[in-house]
Amino acid sequence: MAQSRSRETWCAVLLFLCLAASTAAQEGEGEQAGQAESSGEAESLRPRFHFSLEGKANYRDSEANRFQVPFDFDPSPNGVVRGFEETVNSGSHFEVSTLTLLVDADWGDGLAAHGKIDFIDLYDRNPTSTDKKADVDEAWVRFGVEPEPATLAPRTGLYLKIGKFSKFERQDDRHLESYGLVSTAFNRFEDSGAELGLSLGRHVYAKLSATQGNPVFIRDPNALAGDNGTPDRSTLDANPDLKSGIVILYDAEVEDLDVDGDLELGGGLGVRFSDEEGRNGVDVLVWSYQRTLADRVKLEGTFYGGDLDLLNGPEGHFEDVSLAIRGDKKEEVGGNVWLYWGGLSLFAQYVDQEIAGLPRTGLEAEAAWRFELPLWVAVGERQLFPWIAPAVRWSRLDNDFRNPRGGTPAPSLTWDWDKIDAGLRLGIFQGIDLTLEYADNKFILGNGAERENNEYLATLRWRS
Amino acid sequence: MSTWRRCAGGAELLLAVLLLAGPASAEDLRGTVQLLAKGGKGLARGADVRQAVVYWEPAGGANARPPEAPLLMKTRQKQFMPRMLVVPRGARVRFANEDPILHNVFSVSPGSAFDLGFYRKGPGKEQRFNEPGVVRVFCNVHHDMVAYLLVVSTPYFASPGPDGSFVLSGVPKGPGRLTVWHEQADPWTADLQVPQGTPVAARVEVVRPRVPPHLNKVGESYFKSGRDRYNQP
Repeated sequence: MAQSRSRETWCAVLLFLCLAASTAAQEGEGEQAGQAESSGEAESLRPRFHFSLEGKANYRDSEANRFQVPFDFDPSPNGVVRGFEETVNSGSHFEVSTLTLLVDADWGDGLAAHGKIDFIDLYDRNPTSTDKKADVDEAWVRFGVEPEPATLAPRTGLYLKIGKFSKFERQDDRHLESYGLVSTAFNRFEDSGAELGLSLGRHVYAKLSATQGNPVFIRDPNALAGDNGTPDRSTLDANPDLKSGIVILYDAEVEDLDVDGDLELGGGLGVRFSDEEGRNGVDVLVWSYQRTLADRVKLEGTFYGGDLDLLNGPEGHFEDVSLAIRGDKKEEVGGNVWLYWGGLSLFAQYVDQEIAGLPRTGLEAEAAWRFELPLWVAVGERQLFPWIAPAVRWSRLDNDFRNPRGGTPAPSLTWDWDKIDAGLRLGIFQGIDLTLEYADNKFILGNGAERENNEYLATLRWRS
Repeated sequence: MSTWRRCAGGAELLLAVLLLAGPASAEDLRGTVQLLAKGGKGLARGADVRQAVVYWEPAGGANARPPEAPLLMKTRQKQFMPRMLVVPRGARVRFANEDPILHNVFSVSPGSAFDLGFYRKGPGKEQRFNEPGVVRVFCNVHHDMVAYLLVVSTPYFASPGPDGSFVLSGVPKGPGRLTVWHEQADPWTADLQVPQGTPVAARVEVVRPRVPPHLNKVGESYFKSGRDRYNQP
């Protein structure tokens, strides 16, 4: 596994070496061509690189929850057989949660590359934050122009993106550090493969993707929870150091490059309108994905396997804990709306999903408003506190399937969830901001009782 | 020179200019400017009539010499001051920065494009304007910073008072064209004879927002990069 893990890192390294080699070759060709090339053409071939670092430190206070599950972990190495779903790491904590290197390169509009390597990213615990020293979060090359949501395409055209990248329906313009239930459950993590985008005129567009598919796994939807795999979770243990969290099904991170199996095929059709300066715009996208679930996807730091193994109950560990699955297809249809109007931004997403016949739906909407603040103090010729942006997000997850009669180690998979995240992001200085937020995270147990899993979060973000 | 700098039509200075120009006979041209809401339904709200400029171009041309010293447009509190400046053709404008932060003043208006680059607090940089017409001025850092230069070849101009009334003093007798310009409206023009028996009434329809849609100095949106304006200076 360590070998396959390092393969991903090497792929990214090779990618950038290829780009660097391509750059050197182009520069060499440029010298040979000499006077034949116009200066404008030479300029367009010259790559532009941009390197930056991003770090996040945060304080959080997570409400403690503990539910005994109607299930025995037997045999258990430490003799504890009663299992619990329990908040991962409740209470107050200060953490350095993110340290990321970002690399961007472009050769004009036609060719671009992007790399994002996490050296620390507690948000991406998937299933464990202790399995990797460096994690290649994104590494892709793109040929052609990819318009941003709610901005007009310059003209009819297409682009091809290859590598590891975020899904095209994901909300990338986020205003809070927490995630909603939908953005956790369905498209939080990047996937590996290829994406083709087509602009038909300036307003209509289509997307097609073929990727390896994110394995179905479990995580707690709170911001820094979700550490469902740690080295001590590689064996059956009812009472590990870091707890399970109150978990939902979600599309976990792709840990390895695997294009041998069935690919996930995705498609989307959208329409967008915007003014010429890209300040006011609206974008509507409908999309769908389909793939065949694997019998088992090996994940680091846990004895649970991804995909069907998780839904059946981990092979060789539990019996009679299978959810009422039918078949091995995973299908999603959904719709997105982006709206930008002056300082206001709105994003909404609806998803209808079936995982091996287990149906569930999700709805999420986020509104944020950015206000420019008057200039009253500056440091180093830059404004201190240049803007402030309050934001609120509501999300809901309806799981329309039941727990197995024989008991389950994770009954929360079938509960319904409502979450409201509200907060304020304050620009402090160029590249530095502070986000203060509160998550009101309510879930409805199988017996109809309501419980809460709330969290305060303060995040200081810095980018060079 | 403060009248030049403020682009307002100070009667005293105009008189002095006219004496220098030496017209054979001169009159006052009076009138009012009304800013109307879109569709002409009632008065426009939020549009300042004092930001309008009224100028007279005699049919036979006018002799307007640019001032020796540069006119002044400041950046203060992330705004241009004044927001509207009348510039005699051939005059220079100095863009002083009174903010403790960096600005990058530029224009892409045809015939008068310029880019001053980043500059810090201080006397700023100068630019000469030789082409008559409207020059839209922006900051490449701060999208909402907008100003206008109206480059004219005539010494007969004024800005209306708060009630919309204006007086162009010392206008030479004879035919010519009166123009009312406001940043939120299409230009209003009338071919007239001086003297006029009755005051001119210019009813101008506001059709544009106060901050017009515009791109940055290289023709890109200010709102790109994932709309995450995280790195704003």
